[in-house]
Amino acid sequence: MIDSITLRRVLPRVFRGSEHEPPVSHSEVWLRDELTFTRPGNYIVEAESGTGKSSLCAFLYGSRTDYDGEILFDGTPVSRFSIDWWCELRRSALAYLPQDMRLFPELTVRENIDVKNRLTGFCTETHIKEMLSRLELADRLDDRAGLLSIGQQQRVAIVRALCQPFDFLLVDEPVSHLDARNNAAVASLIAEEASSRSAAIIATSVGNKLTLSDFTLIRL
Amino acid sequence: MTHPLSRLLRRNISAGQIAGYALANLVGLTIVLTALQFYRDVTSATSGSDSFISADYLIISKKVNGLGSFMATDRSATTFTPDERTDIASQPWASAVGAFTSADFNVAARVEFGGMPLSTALFLESIPDEFFDVSPRGWHYTPGSGKPLPIVISKDYLTLYNFGFATSRGMPQISEELIGSIPLRLSVSGGGRQEWIDARIVGFSSRLNTIAVPEEFMEWANREFADHSSPAPSAPSRLIVRLRQAGDPDAMAYMASHDYEVAGDKDAGGKAAYFLSLVTTIVVSVGIIISLLAFFILLLSIYLLLQKNREKIHDLMLLGYTPAQVAAYYNRLVATVNITVLLAAVTVMLAASSQWKSSLDSIGAEGTPPWLTIAVGTVIMTLITIGNMTAISRSIRRTFRTQQ
Repeated sequence: MIDSITLRRVLPRVFRGSEHEPPVSHSEVWLRDELTFTRPGNYIVEAESGTGKSSLCAFLYGSRTDYDGEILFDGTPVSRFSIDWWCELRRSALAYLPQDMRLFPELTVRENIDVKNRLTGFCTETHIKEMLSRLELADRLDDRAGLLSIGQQQRVAIVRALCQPFDFLLVDEPVSHLDARNNAAVASLIAEEASSRSAAIIATSVGNKLTLSDFTLIRL
Repeated sequence: MTHPLSRLLRRNISAGQIAGYALANLVGLTIVLTALQFYRDVTSATSGSDSFISADYLIISKKVNGLGSFMATDRSATTFTPDERTDIASQPWASAVGAFTSADFNVAARVEFGGMPLSTALFLESIPDEFFDVSPRGWHYTPGSGKPLPIVISKDYLTLYNFGFATSRGMPQISEELIGSIPLRLSVSGGGRQEWIDARIVGFSSRLNTIAVPEEFMEWANREFADHSSPAPSAPSRLIVRLRQAGDPDAMAYMASHDYEVAGDKDAGGKAAYFLSLVTTIVVSVGIIISLLAFFILLLSIYLLLQKNREKIHDLMLLGYTPAQVAAYYNRLVATVNITVLLAAVTVMLAASSQWKSSLDSIGAEGTPPWLTIAVGTVIMTLITIGNMTAISRSIRRTFRTQQ
C-alpha cells in the first residue's frame, strides 16, 4: 500500500545546467523542495510538449532513474527498491498507462488484457467485458490490437491498466486521441475505478485534459 | 489456450540456432562420455586378475652381478636398505611400498600324486595382504589350529607346467581347481627343529611371481625355525610398489637410474596404460572444448534473442511481470534442449560401448557399469544449464530499465 508519493528537488538529468531557464524555472514539479501526491485525490499535471511529463511518469513508475533528487513512497526513497519490489508494486499498488500504450500488436484485445489480468487475477471476465462495452469496444475483443485505431488502442490500454489493484493510477495523456464523448466515458470509468480503490489519479495532459470533476492542477 | 506470455516470448526464437547448438553440444558431450566410458571399460581390466594393463604395481629387485651371489655371507648388495625403501616411498609416483619377507628356514613339499609320493624343495615369501591381486577365502593362518596353510602361487608356474613341462613329457595338464584340491604337506625345518604342516594352494596370482603365504605364518615360522646361529637377513631383497598412475614414466626412469630391475615385462602393459590415459585425456579435452564452444553458441543465441525481444520483455515488466517469470519461459526452453542433448549423448555412449564390449571381453576386460559416466554427463550438463540460466536472468534484469 502506498499512501503518498513525494518528490524532493527532482530534476531530469537532461535539464541539468538549465535550472534557471524555462521550463524548469517556473515548473511546479521540477526542483521543488517538496511536492506530495496523496490518495485519494485527482491530480492533473499540465505541461507543454518537451517539458518532461512522460519522464515524470517513468520516474514514478520506476522504469527510469535518470534524474537528480529524490522520490519517496510513504517516506521511503524508491532508489532502495529492488527490481522485484518494483514488479510487486506494479501488480498491487501502481497502475500505469504509458503515452504510447505499449499494447502488443500481435495479440488480440482479449489477450492483451489477459496478459495483465492473468498476472493479477483481479477482474472477472464479466467485469472486463463491461468496461470494454462502456468504452464501445465490446465487439473488438478478438481483433488484433495492431489493427485497431489509435483511439481504440488507447481505450484498450486503459482497460488493461485497470485490471489490477492500485493506490496510484498514472495516466500519461489518456485522452490525447479521443473525442469529447469518449473522453467523458474514459473519465467516468477511471474515476469510478479509482474511487472504488480509494486511489489517487495522476493524469498528464498537453491540452486535452481528462474531464475529471474535481482535481488539483499542477503546471509542469 | 496457450498463455499469451509464451506467444509473446517465443517470437524471434531461431530454431536453426537452437538446433546448431544442440548438435554441437551433442557431439562434444558424446565425445566426452564415450571416451570416458571407453577408458573405464578398458581399465576395468586392471582390477581383474588377468589384465593386460596391470602395471600399477611394480616388483623390483637389485641386479645380481658377477660373483656377488657366491659370497653367501654378504647379501647386502642385493637387499634394500631402510633408506632406499623410504626414498622410494617418498617419490611422488609411489602410493605404497611393501617388502617381500623371505623364509629363514628350509621348506620341502610332499604330495601324493596317484599313489606316488613326490617331493621337492620349496621357498616361501610373504607380502602385506593389501598388495595381493587375488583375495582367496581363508587367507589366514593360526599356528596349531590344524587348518591347512593357504598358499598363493604365480600363475606363470602353472602355465609353465601345463604348456611347457606336461606337453613335452606327455603328462596330464592340470586345472586351477584340480591343483587347489590336492593336499600338500610341507616339511618346515631349521634351528634344529622340524615340523609337518598341511597346506593347500588357494589361488593364482599374475602379479606376484613367487610362492606366497600369509604374513602371520611367516612371522611365526621365522621365529620358530630360524637358524639363530647365522645373522638373519632383516633387509628385504624384493619390494612391491603401488603406483599412483599406471605406467608412470617417472617411475621407470627412477628404476633405471637406480639400477633396479622391474620384474617381468609388466612394464609394457604399463606403457599401454599410460598411453591410454594420455589419449583419453586428449580426446576428453577435445570433447570439452567442443561442448564449451557450443555453450557459447547458445549464450550468443540467447543474447541475440533477448535483444530482439527486449522491448516486449521491458513491456512485460512494465505490466508487473518479474524477471524470474519472464526468464522461466527461456529457462524451460534451455532445460528441455539440454536434457534432450544429455539423453541423446548417453544413448550414443551406451550404443558405442555395446559395440566394443565383445572385443574387450576377449582381452579380459569385463567392462564397468555406465553410472559414473552418466553422472559425469549430468554434472557437465547441469553446469552448462546453470551457466545459460544465469546469463538469461542477468540479461533480462538489464532490460528492466529503459535504456537512456
